[in-house]
Amino acid sequence: MISMTFLGILGLLTLFALLALRMPVALSMLFVGFVGTIIANANKFIAIGMASDKAWARGWKIAFSNLSGEAFEAASNYNLLVIPMFVLMGNLAGVSGMSNDLFTAAYRWMGHMRGGLASATIAACAGFAALSGSSLASAVTMGRVALPEMKRYNYADSLATGSVAAGGTLGFLIPPSAGMIIYAVLTEQSIGRLFMAGVIPGVILSCLFIGAIYIVVTRKPEIGPKGARASREDRLSSLWRACPILGVVFVTIGGMYTGFFTPVEASSVGAFFTFVVAAARGSLSLAASRDVILQSMNATATVFLIIIGAFVFIPFMSLTEIPAQLVTLLTSLPIADLGVLFVIILAYIILGMFLESIAMLVLTIPVVIPIAVGLNWDLIWFGIIVVIVLEMGMISPPVGINVFIVKSIAPDVPMGQIFRGIWPFWFAMAAMITLLIIFPQIALYLPQTIGGG
Amino acid sequence: MNERYKISGLISLLDKALIWIALIGGGTTLAAMTCLSVWNVLVMRKAMNAPITGAEDVMILLLVVIVALSIPLGARTGAHIEIEILESRMAAGFAKWSMILIKALSATLLAVASWRLWHAGQTAERFGETTQQLLISYEPFYYLLGVSVAIYAVALVLEIGQLFRSGTVIRLNIGSGSL
Repeated sequence: MISMTFLGILGLLTLFALLALRMPVALSMLFVGFVGTIIANANKFIAIGMASDKAWARGWKIAFSNLSGEAFEAASNYNLLVIPMFVLMGNLAGVSGMSNDLFTAAYRWMGHMRGGLASATIAACAGFAALSGSSLASAVTMGRVALPEMKRYNYADSLATGSVAAGGTLGFLIPPSAGMIIYAVLTEQSIGRLFMAGVIPGVILSCLFIGAIYIVVTRKPEIGPKGARASREDRLSSLWRACPILGVVFVTIGGMYTGFFTPVEASSVGAFFTFVVAAARGSLSLAASRDVILQSMNATATVFLIIIGAFVFIPFMSLTEIPAQLVTLLTSLPIADLGVLFVIILAYIILGMFLESIAMLVLTIPVVIPIAVGLNWDLIWFGIIVVIVLEMGMISPPVGINVFIVKSIAPDVPMGQIFRGIWPFWFAMAAMITLLIIFPQIALYLPQTIGGG
Repeated sequence: MNERYKISGLISLLDKALIWIALIGGGTTLAAMTCLSVWNVLVMRKAMNAPITGAEDVMILLLVVIVALSIPLGARTGAHIEIEILESRMAAGFAKWSMILIKALSATLLAVASWRLWHAGQTAERFGETTQQLLISYEPFYYLLGVSVAIYAVALVLEIGQLFRSGTVIRLNIGSGSL
């Protein structure tokens, strides 16, 4: 017989080994969860005096039942309908040319300022983030539009690429967000409330990004020269062109906030309206439709398989009691709650340098959430902090995924230069986390006033 | 040489099948989900105050379908997230053989999962596993998910063959569009 703690540690070590050997994250969790459940349950039954062969047979039976039951539970979870629907909405927005309109509108209003194109990129990314739940999609879509423009106006490569990479991360924070959906499902929080909690931090973080650009170009004016000032008519017409996007955002986010729509309803209505806009613009060619369907299914596959893996892995972790012991350990340390939060954030920042954000989210939730619950933290507020720290990981060296995306769009810019351009935005994110710790209401105000109770 | 062509031929056949199934089956399912939900919410519930009975049931079943169709496609496109940070530090031989081992382990795990899903489908009726309103049995949907997982396992086996033959896995490219 082995102790549950030892089994848990062994399980975690096996998980890390499998991950290092490039087993998909979802399958690594599925494997460790499945095998761990057999051993943990057999041990428990042996401990209460059951015959060894019967105990192992029970262990297998429970693990088999978990494997099929949890997989089907994840695939038939009504709340998870938001994933294919919001992904579809984001992909339709991507092919509809809405990203161009967003950037043009932001550019005409802000382009004449020093660093205005970079600021316009952030504003357009924030707008696109309200249509798409993926930071990669935001970075790819806006990068293709904004980077050539910034090159044309002689922006420094570091500022141009840095603003796209950082702006793209807003897709993870501003609803709809794939990361938030996964967090909500795995922590049993309301998706709608979590979405609402991301709105104000998303707006503030966008402003902080623009503030960071302002500071950078004030110090070095040559890296972000002023663009041409657009006429009043041009500005207004660009705003008019961006109206359909604002309409879709108003319907989805506004609908959820007022309680008129549930998140599932908002996602399908948003996808439908985005489809109507894309069709009305003649953007849905056969090739574009093919792209939308395949990319939507691709993203659905990513998220669902990882949720299936997490659904099997998390109960095993609970069986091992490791999370509970970690809570006891951390709460017994001579550091206040703030110290524990600092340790968690630091751990996330370090992990974020090496792990993909969604993988990191599902891998850490079984351990981190019991700590948050043990310390009576609001899980909605904590979720927003986690999401922002994950965003930091997306632009942190050496494997910041958004940086690689930007590199693929701007292959002539060295990686070192892109990472140099990232730092002002990284510190802006750190400032956002500090603000959230000092003023939790930034995240909690909207969820507490949400319509429909 | 013949074996090599055989494997790449099989993979190419699988890829084509996955793409067509995704485009026709996936496209139809996504469209059905969107239309049903919008019709039910905007027209029937909000405008006419008469929501469609069992709409949620059908949406759930459509979700299972889209998940089942997506998973094998994602297997071939590389959608299932892997941590690749250590890959560049591995010796070529170790990288190849460890990948073969991991793919074999993954295929075995998926085969077990597929078997259990199929088995759960066979017992679904007996345990009363149905949707809540329309009482549609989950049985065929368990089978569908089981088959989906089995195809993922088959894709992995074919990729092992590809690794043996050429030392590398060639993924299905579905374009570089938005995610």
